[in-house]
Amino acid sequence: MRNVIAIASSVVRDAARKKVFYVVFLFGIAVLALAPLLPTFDLGLRAQFLRDISISLTSLFGVVLAVVLSVGQVPGEVDKRTIYNVLSKPVSRAQYFLGKYVGILVSLAAIMFVMGIEILILLGAKVHVFSPVVFEGVFAVFLEAALIAAFCLAFSTFAAAPITVFAAILFYFICHMKTGFLYTRMVTGTHGFLKVLSGAVYYAIPNLENFSTSNQVGYGRAASLHGLLRITGYAALFAAVLMILGFLAFRRRDL
Amino acid sequence: MDERAVTLTNIKKTYRIGASRKRKAAVEDLTLDVRYGDIFGLLGPNGAGKTTTLKVMLGLVYPQSGEGTLLGKKLGDRSAHRKLGFLPEQSYFYGFLTAEKGLALYGRFFGMDKALLKKRSADLIELVGLPHNSHLTLDKYSKGMQQRFGIAQALLNDPELVILDEPSSGLDPVGQKEVRDILLDLKEQGKTIFLSSHMLSEVENICDSVSILSAGSSVVEGKLADLLTVEGLTRVTLKGPPPPEKSFVFAHSVQSDDGLVAIEVDSREAYLALDEARSLGLELVSAQPYHRSLEDLFLASIKEAPQ
Repeated sequence: MRNVIAIASSVVRDAARKKVFYVVFLFGIAVLALAPLLPTFDLGLRAQFLRDISISLTSLFGVVLAVVLSVGQVPGEVDKRTIYNVLSKPVSRAQYFLGKYVGILVSLAAIMFVMGIEILILLGAKVHVFSPVVFEGVFAVFLEAALIAAFCLAFSTFAAAPITVFAAILFYFICHMKTGFLYTRMVTGTHGFLKVLSGAVYYAIPNLENFSTSNQVGYGRAASLHGLLRITGYAALFAAVLMILGFLAFRRRDL
Repeated sequence: MDERAVTLTNIKKTYRIGASRKRKAAVEDLTLDVRYGDIFGLLGPNGAGKTTTLKVMLGLVYPQSGEGTLLGKKLGDRSAHRKLGFLPEQSYFYGFLTAEKGLALYGRFFGMDKALLKKRSADLIELVGLPHNSHLTLDKYSKGMQQRFGIAQALLNDPELVILDEPSSGLDPVGQKEVRDILLDLKEQGKTIFLSSHMLSEVENICDSVSILSAGSSVVEGKLADLLTVEGLTRVTLKGPPPPEKSFVFAHSVQSDDGLVAIEVDSREAYLALDEARSLGLELVSAQPYHRSLEDLFLASIKEAPQ
């Protein structure tokens, strides 16, 4: 565990050095830019609109951040060969890989927490509403970003960064659309072997719509504890599967 | 107890190269042993397989066949790495850290407690001649300073086995001498040092045994003193003016320089040389088994090695 924490802290420090955390300022500016778009007639509608759009914006930032933070972690260290000096110490590849992921999660959590605060401040300043429910939305976005990060980290153990980015975009859209037209195409619309295969793919990929809470948060409806635990478990399960697959690819890789 | 700190037996490592993905052997049937307390030099021209050998030892690449041990543990057993220090060829360190923070990070991997780590870091920074409490991050260091940091982090855990890839790379002559002194001091402490180097003079000065690689295989291996001694030849050094041209006709070579005459003769004819030296009024300085230079051995080994 000590090694995992040490590697995670180096990931956070590197993210700080690369000024990734400055994204919170960018987010603040983006949220402020929304203010003139607010409907002026109804305070309730204004709060709803602001909550909804802020969480959607957080989701966008979260996904981009997850990709940015994770896509170069392993290939970057292999290219720069800094990985040699870590793995020559009593650090296993599993600890290294997990440490990287924990570091990404901590960085994401820190950034998203600040984003949540920014949304709270904006809501207070613009519509005089205190809406801690936005943190539920931010938490759901964090879970989605954590899943995307696990995908990128796993994929990057055997693919170059541009390919991983492309794959992550594809993964994001497929996982968001799977309950829509993909459901009919993959599960009900094909026959025989293709039906089995596409059905298996359908159930093997996570449904990222589970983390889309902007509408619900917009209305100011708090999720039940059961609901929050359900999406947390769902994200943890898929992230664990992705991390295990990534580790299996990384475990015997020549560096 | 096994007297060998490092063993590699029939190691073979191939890589796929080019568009055809054809396999090429980087290391082929490599076997070598390093005794505890020795300074071992791994030599070879570029592409001979030195770095791949180090990577196999450190578990960074996996050989297709063969086996080995580090400090009595099988290759890949991370517990051996607790007593191991490694200096990579170039500054492969986190550039965003200062020397102190870098050592603190690496020290955590060894589970060193904070007080010990702090003291050890300060001592090592002093030893390698880096500035204390500098805010300069490692990516701002010169190549020589980065190499000094590399040596410090390699010694952080007071290792039993130190693996060094080109330790003098990027260092000025003063730095090279300091590194040499550090290595000899480590040997005094009973540490085992595995050194990969292009600097033959450095290896010749400090190594107990060497292995010369060519095209992935060891072409020469053994104790350096034995390898450099040419059986049956004696070098007689005399003091005096250059001898006449027709003297020492039985010698393999006669060289005069700066008042000294060096004669290489078959060992059984050494007494003849001494007799003739006396008759010519030359004073005996020394008579000892002839040693060739490591450079001569290296070049001859590479030339004779199958490509």
